[in-house]
Amino acid sequence: MKFQCLGKQLFNSSANLPRIQLPSPMEAHLWYIIPSEVQSQSLLNQYAEILSPCEKEIVFEMRDEELRKRALLARALVRTTIARYQINSHVSPRSLKFIKNVHGKPEVDWQHCEQWRPLPLHFNISHTSSLIACGVTVDSPIGIDVEKKNRRLKHNVMSFAQRYFSKHEVQVLSAISDPQLQQQEFIKLWTLKEAYVKALGRGFSDAPFKTFTIRIRSANKGSFAGNSNFEASEIVVDSFDDSMDLTSDWKFVLMDLAGSHYAAICTKKDSSIQGIQITPTKLTVWKTIPFVHDECVSGTAAVVIISG
Amino acid sequence: MASITGSFTSLSCSLMPNQAVNRVSKLGSVSLSISGKSFPSLRVQPARFHASCAAKPETVDKVCKIVRKQLALPDESKVAGHSNFASLGADSLDTVEIVMGLEEEFSISVEEESAQNIATVQDAADLIEKLIENKGA
Repeated sequence: MKFQCLGKQLFNSSANLPRIQLPSPMEAHLWYIIPSEVQSQSLLNQYAEILSPCEKEIVFEMRDEELRKRALLARALVRTTIARYQINSHVSPRSLKFIKNVHGKPEVDWQHCEQWRPLPLHFNISHTSSLIACGVTVDSPIGIDVEKKNRRLKHNVMSFAQRYFSKHEVQVLSAISDPQLQQQEFIKLWTLKEAYVKALGRGFSDAPFKTFTIRIRSANKGSFAGNSNFEASEIVVDSFDDSMDLTSDWKFVLMDLAGSHYAAICTKKDSSIQGIQITPTKLTVWKTIPFVHDECVSGTAAVVIISG
Repeated sequence: MASITGSFTSLSCSLMPNQAVNRVSKLGSVSLSISGKSFPSLRVQPARFHASCAAKPETVDKVCKIVRKQLALPDESKVAGHSNFASLGADSLDTVEIVMGLEEEFSISVEEESAQNIATVQDAADLIEKLIENKGA
């Protein structure tokens, strides 16, 4: 084992992770890291030390350095994020154990996490080359997706949409004449659809993208809006096969994150709240370099809620 | 003892001595582990296609070409039958675009259930040949 100095040894425990209260049932937390801001080799080593042997093997088998770093940061982000919610404890993020549900969605395996107090939290991660995010909720499944705003498809946007999106979504997209705006709306729709399927947690084939429609509509006017400049706009999902899931159960937040990405979060509504009135998800967002620096960026220019 | 391939150089890490034991079941465990790592929406699962109906090398080559193009991989990067999409850096949107590229190249239609099971180049090639065979039948 390498210990450069006594100070560094402390990083491996969770002492350098400020504790935080779990989100309430109507809230969501989002933690994100920008890979290019992590350059220190010793910090990367410390992240590697909190991974499980299995995770390390996967990470170090990647040939490309950037991919390796991304995979490492993603695992370190998940482990450190969950460790923050363990109040009054100094258990190491390394001792967390994960298990996959029957469809492959990772969850915390509380039964096998010794010394951890089980928490009713749900998490989901998403990564791009330039941003990795982890969302956390309590008592509600969560799905998140982040994409670069200026991501270009290799295919033509409308060909792709016709192949994979629903009829209504294709109509909305084709009504946008400016190619750049069309591209942006496409990315927004993609992140929302991804977030929904990930929140469902049953795998892509269980909810093929063509079988549901995401609409961004204005709650004020009660009409459908192609863009989302309305403060009170709402994102809803309709399924053609409603027996699969009650689509009215799900709510969304779509945001412009760090000026460079769109991020979508999908969570389940509180079933005790009936009726059309939507309670917006209270969202708190942190930009983090685990063990080094956390910055709450909600309400700043780094987080611009587009809808939801 | 670290029995990791020489490909990692910039990340040094102190590894547990028992890590070497995992190498025995490497092939099986890699595809399983990666399926849980990032949970892309186009979820990857262990390959369901067996060696007895492995695809022709030409098909594998065509798939490699499409994957390279989609992921903008440099010419010298290694892409072969066993290459796992996620390990090559494909996210869910890339994987869907790759499937779309395969559909166009081979004039086939891939159902979501089948697409979900594609984890490697070999998986894709095997599925393509199966679909082409079914088309002809």
